[in-house]
Amino acid sequence: MKLKTIIQVENLRKAYAQEEAVKGISFSVEQGTLFAFLGANGAGKSTTIEILCTLLKKTSGTVNINGYTLDSSNDNAAIRKSIGVVFQQSLLDERLTVYENIIHRGKMYGLSKQELAENYQFVSTHLNLNEIEKQKYGTLSGGQKRRADIAKALIHRPPLLFLDEPTTGLDPQTRQFVWQTIKRLQEDTNMTVFLTTHYMEEAAMAHKIVVLKQGEIVAEGTPDALKTKYAYDQLALVFHNSLKGTNWLIENNISHTEKQGIFTIRVQSTIHALALLKQAEPLIASFEVIKGTMDDVFIHIMKQEVS
Amino acid sequence: MEAFLNLIERNNKMFRRDKTAVFFSLLSVIIVIGLYALFLQKMQIDSLKQASEATPELITMVNEWFVAGLLSMIAVSTTLGTFGIAIKDIESKTVVDFLTAPVSRATIQMSYVLNAIIIGFIFSFIALIVCEIFIVATGGTWLSFSSFLKVIGILALSVLLASIMNVFFTLLVNTQNSFAALSTIVGTLLGFLCGVYVPIGALPGFAQNIVMYFPVSHTTLLLRNAFMENSLTQVFAGAPTEAIEQYKLIYGITYKLHGTMLSHATSYIIILSSIIILTILSISLFKRKHR
Repeated sequence: MKLKTIIQVENLRKAYAQEEAVKGISFSVEQGTLFAFLGANGAGKSTTIEILCTLLKKTSGTVNINGYTLDSSNDNAAIRKSIGVVFQQSLLDERLTVYENIIHRGKMYGLSKQELAENYQFVSTHLNLNEIEKQKYGTLSGGQKRRADIAKALIHRPPLLFLDEPTTGLDPQTRQFVWQTIKRLQEDTNMTVFLTTHYMEEAAMAHKIVVLKQGEIVAEGTPDALKTKYAYDQLALVFHNSLKGTNWLIENNISHTEKQGIFTIRVQSTIHALALLKQAEPLIASFEVIKGTMDDVFIHIMKQEVS
Repeated sequence: MEAFLNLIERNNKMFRRDKTAVFFSLLSVIIVIGLYALFLQKMQIDSLKQASEATPELITMVNEWFVAGLLSMIAVSTTLGTFGIAIKDIESKTVVDFLTAPVSRATIQMSYVLNAIIIGFIFSFIALIVCEIFIVATGGTWLSFSSFLKVIGILALSVLLASIMNVFFTLLVNTQNSFAALSTIVGTLLGFLCGVYVPIGALPGFAQNIVMYFPVSHTTLLLRNAFMENSLTQVFAGAPTEAIEQYKLIYGITYKLHGTMLSHATSYIIILSSIIILTILSISLFKRKHR
């Protein structure tokens, strides 16, 4: 089944007086998917997101979000109603309670009292707000604040959620909670999530990844496709006798590195590792197959020259 | 419209719950009350005693003179204090978060202005009631109903002027540090520009001109006239007209600019035209800032 496209970006450019931050990028995001938008600092990610969120004017190109064309008459207001944004930093009001904060933000979307009450019930249930809704936002822990931030972004039930480094600075347990919540919301509502993150294991959960470098898209695809192209699996071996092991590797013309008796061999896939292990089985004391990660993909791409 | 009213409600809560901001917005007022209690009242009574006896009417007149200045100061200092929220929102990027919702930057800015007007008026009204109680408690009389309404009207004008003036000032700053500096400068100058610390007649000529060109000082002048109508008549009963005129000029109840006595109508014109000019300047500055 073909998924509906919720974001369509064509030849998007943003130029400032001194530099071009975004250099004609094109990509699409399908509804109900988790889309990861990656890049080093200064790659043009934030500029692109600010344009998509109607916060910044584009220089040229076309952007279509949820059927509305960016910067055309009245469509920006419709786009704003279609999106929810969770910024990296907590931006709710410290002196207001969680409930007050979320209701105040909900009223900005012109929701009726009944809609607001229903939506609040929805976000409260999904984000466990009951225990914190009467607390002042300023008194919450980092994880609790993040829950309130996400609830704020979802109070108008947008089909598209922008998450700008949502788990930066959170402890692993809270990060896990945030992701469980986002996944559950996606399953329940078919919501699309547009994610930027510096945690590559989070990007690995995406259906599609776009990597930006110096304002240009340098890679895109599924996490598996990118791993196949840019990362590699590794086989770590410890021999009964290191000398015999070294000789075997040289005889079989297998390139390797050695550190403190651990020999590391780059393999195309885990299946290739299996073949090598069978050959070297009598010599091996222990082994480990290390899967290529999104970190490898990111580092590899960032080292490449922009064409 | 609902988003606009909602933003005003939010700004209002934010200011009221920030006790430190409320305290600092009233700091210059608290200082001037302290100075008045310590020596300003005594100094003025002593200087007036040379011409008249220290009757209860004289004390009431001096108190009313002070109260009028105080109320015009409150309008400026409280409205300025509320704009601290706007600056905090800019610095913390809360404004950016607001802008992801279907509200315009102009709506957000207007919500700060209207919040300033509401807070300024509420504080001024409370201060007026407290001041009236103070005047009556120290031997004076309540304002007549018509004078009370007149004072309310002048206070409304004063709050409007102060809010527009402060929005212009706050459009020039972007950080809480620069806003704190601005608040300190305004708080320090305010007592002089409203002629509360020192009577205008005691200032050198050029400083008197500065005060008279400062639109807020005209709200002080109008308030003084509204408050002191009865007490002036009582204190200066039988005194030569020149003595009353002299007192009015020295204590900023009448302004004489470049040899011309300014009428109350002129003060109203100065206030209203200042509101219009500052509004135009603020709008163009706002547009330039967010081009």
